[in-house]
Formats: sequence, structure tokens, C-alpha cells
Amino acid sequence: MTARGTPSRFLQSVLHNGVGRYVCQLKRISLVFSKKGQGSLGVRDFIEEGVVDFAKNNPGTVIYISPQSCRIPKIVAEYLNGNVKEEMVTNKTSQQIAELITKMSNQSGLDIIRIRKPFHTDSPSIQGQWHPFTNRPPSIQPVGQQTK
Amino acid sequence: MAACRALVSRAVIPLHYHHASRGVMLTHVREKKRWMKAYTLIMERKRKMEGPPPPKPRSQQPNFDYHAEVEAFSARLQESFSLDLLKTAFVSSCYLRSEEERRRALGLDSEMTALNLKDNGELSVHGQQFTKGFLGDWCRGSFHSLPEEGVAAVVGHLTGSDVMCHVARKLAVEELTMSAEFPVPDDTLRGTFFAVIGALEQSSGPVQAGLFIRDFLVTQLIGKDLFDMWRVVDPMGLLVKELTRKGLALPEPRLIRSAGASTVLPLYFVGLYSDRKLLAQGPGETVLAAEEEAARVALRKLYGFTEDRRPWDFTAPTGQLQKPSTQALASG
Repeated sequence: MTARGTPSRFLQSVLHNGVGRYVCQLKRISLVFSKKGQGSLGVRDFIEEGVVDFAKNNPGTVIYISPQSCRIPKIVAEYLNGNVKEEMVTNKTSQQIAELITKMSNQSGLDIIRIRKPFHTDSPSIQGQWHPFTNRPPSIQPVGQQTK
Repeated sequence: MAACRALVSRAVIPLHYHHASRGVMLTHVREKKRWMKAYTLIMERKRKMEGPPPPKPRSQQPNFDYHAEVEAFSARLQESFSLDLLKTAFVSSCYLRSEEERRRALGLDSEMTALNLKDNGELSVHGQQFTKGFLGDWCRGSFHSLPEEGVAAVVGHLTGSDVMCHVARKLAVEELTMSAEFPVPDDTLRGTFFAVIGALEQSSGPVQAGLFIRDFLVTQLIGKDLFDMWRVVDPMGLLVKELTRKGLALPEPRLIRSAGASTVLPLYFVGLYSDRKLLAQGPGETVLAAEEEAARVALRKLYGFTEDRRPWDFTAPTGQLQKPSTQALASG
């Protein structure tokens, strides 16, 4: 809708990630799919071919495979900041699901809403924030030597 | 709820199709059910009366394998923990007590009630001592002129409940903690995080543990002001003490700028001069407030905790921790 009508946030990172070491923010991914339904074909193919490689490349993420009788296969991703993101992957191919999972593992868990400014700094001013008295000449002459 | 009971006893499981957790519609849709609206309205009213259900710990929700989660925790932080120590670190004493009581209440005899889990008391104490020592050394190394109370205040802030629990929650320590209550109380969580640091120090050595503390606790200092963490009641007195210790002249306050003296928002700038050289100037709504602020600015300059200081080095794991780096940080 409009900027005021939709939520927005500032550019931030969880726990200053990347300043020290980089921590993969995706902690858990659950593949919910059906063993027989045709919408879960892509998920079943991905589980056969790609999921073990993904697990080897991301040792910090736990992958749960839960076959259930469901109509829509889902990927549920949980992030370190507590957010849970569910994506429906009905009728997607194994390749698309692999790309989607890589995209989710590269995200931090922060909400995907409008970011107000594409920059953030903790030290906005080096020489000192300008205020109207900076560089303003004094209104009285400097007090010279005073004879007593 | 009599109507609700009558409805339930009459029909087969009336799962409202909006709340079906699977994708299959479990309602029997031969025809539109006349009781459905009344039932859903009653359940809504019941839900509104009782409020939201109490939160359940993640370990009691589906899809949670403790061993896999502990291994992933270790791999995610790029540290190699010894898994036994790490699992011991997550066990809190209140959990052991509550488990033993539960087993005793279920009627098991005293041999069965003894769990072969150790709690994290020793690891926690060890980790706390190590953390405080490391943070104290780091502070003294980064801010040479900061006095001991300042160092203690900064270390106290970083090892205090707020910061530690914030960091622990964002590192998913709360999910792996075994404690009696949920949500895990702050003290237990803080103790568990100290125990994790203790376990890391015993598994990988003090250098790795020091890097861990630097990467997760010292980064919480970014953007913070010294006097947010260190409550100084009399900054002018402290400044006088510092200057006499250095052998410099005592500070003399002079009014530098003033604006709007008779308005509702006056502004005064007071400068502190030591031996006729400007130490610092600070603004305030009254002359006294401006003088106090000027003293604080002077103290920040003396201790090197200004906003325009050189950023700390978080990069080289192989270099020594105390050596000042020549590279500036990228914006954080």
C-alpha cells in the first residue's frame, strides 16, 4: 500500500552479525511434504538429490524431513532471532526448491518489509555534529589583559 | 459451555476447516452445517476469555532432535565444543531438582530418581570468572586511562542480565537450556551462557574463548556511551581528581554561548578551561546543567570513549588481542 500504511524498519543486523564472526542465521529448516501427492513431487526429488549436499554445506542448520498427509508441501525456516518463515512449494521443481532453500539460508530472520534507509552507522559524525554555534564568531571581543 | 458439549456429543469431530493444520478438509461437507456458526462463535468467545495459550518450549514442539541441535549450535558458532561439556553446560540445577521430584512423585525408588546428568554450576562459575577477567583485560587494554570503577562498570554492564540474556536468546541458547520453568528465567539463562563459555574454554582453550567473548559480548558495546553504563553522580569532582592525578591545572568553567535566556528553552554552552586551554565544552538548559555536561564531555575525551574514536579491531583471529590494529572497521 503506502509507506505509512505498511510496516517498515531500519537497516540492522542481529547481534552485530558480521562485525565479529559471521553466524548463519538459519537454525532449523523443516520440509513438510506428502509421500504420494503430486504437488510434493519437487520436494521428494529434492530430498533424493539435493538435501544431503545442502546439509553438508550448512552444518549449522538442522534439517527435519517430515512426511505427512498434507495437501500443500511447505518449507518452514526458523531463524536465530525467533522468526519463523513458511514457504509453500507446491508444484515447484527440485531446482527451484534448491534455490529457494539457498535464498532462505542467506537471509537473516528480520522481516522483509520496507527498509527506511539503505545505510546505518553507529558513529554518524567524526568532527562533531554541526549545531548553529559551530564556527559562529563570538558576539563580544575577546577579553584582553585587564588592568587591576 | 452446555451448548458446546451438546454439539460435540452429537456430531463427529467438528474441526472447523479454517483451523485444519493439514491441507485436507476434514468437515463432512454433504451440506452446510447449521450448528457450525454457533459452535465457532462459542469457541471464539472461550478463546478470548482464556487468552492466548501459555508458551511451550521448542523442545516440546514437533521437529526437535536435541543431539542434532547441540551439534548444529557448535558448528554455527564455528567453534569445536566437546559435546559432553556442552550438554552439561545446558543442564541447570533447577531442572535436575524438578526432574527428581517428578520421578519421585511418579513413585520410582531413589536409585532410579538419580539422573546421571551433572548440572552446570561449576562450568558457570568458571565461565563467569573467565569472562570477567577477559573483559576487564580487554577494557584496560583498549582504554588505558579508564579508572578501575569505570572498567568495573563496563564489565558489569556487559556481564549483566540484560546484555547476556539478549545475546543468549539471539544465539538460540534458550532453546537448548534444560530448566524447570519456561520461559527460562533471566538468572538461569545468564548462568547457562556463562557455563557455555566455560565449556568452550575447557574444550578449545582460553584464546578461542576470548575470541568468542570478543565477537559476541564486546560487539554489544558498539554505539553505547560510557555514562550509560557507568553511573557517575559528580562528573566535575571526578574530572578534578583526574586532572590533579595528571598534574594539570584545575578546570575553570566559563560561559561560552548562550541563547534564549528568557525563553522556555534556554541554551547555554559552558567551556572548561585548564590553564587557559579549552578542555571541552558542553550544552545545557541551565548553566549548571551545561557545566555538568561539559565535565562529562571532558571525561569522555580523557578516557578515549568519544564517538569519533578509532573503532575496535574485530578481525584478525591470529593476531594478538591487545595489539591496536592499523585497519579501521567497515561500518557496522
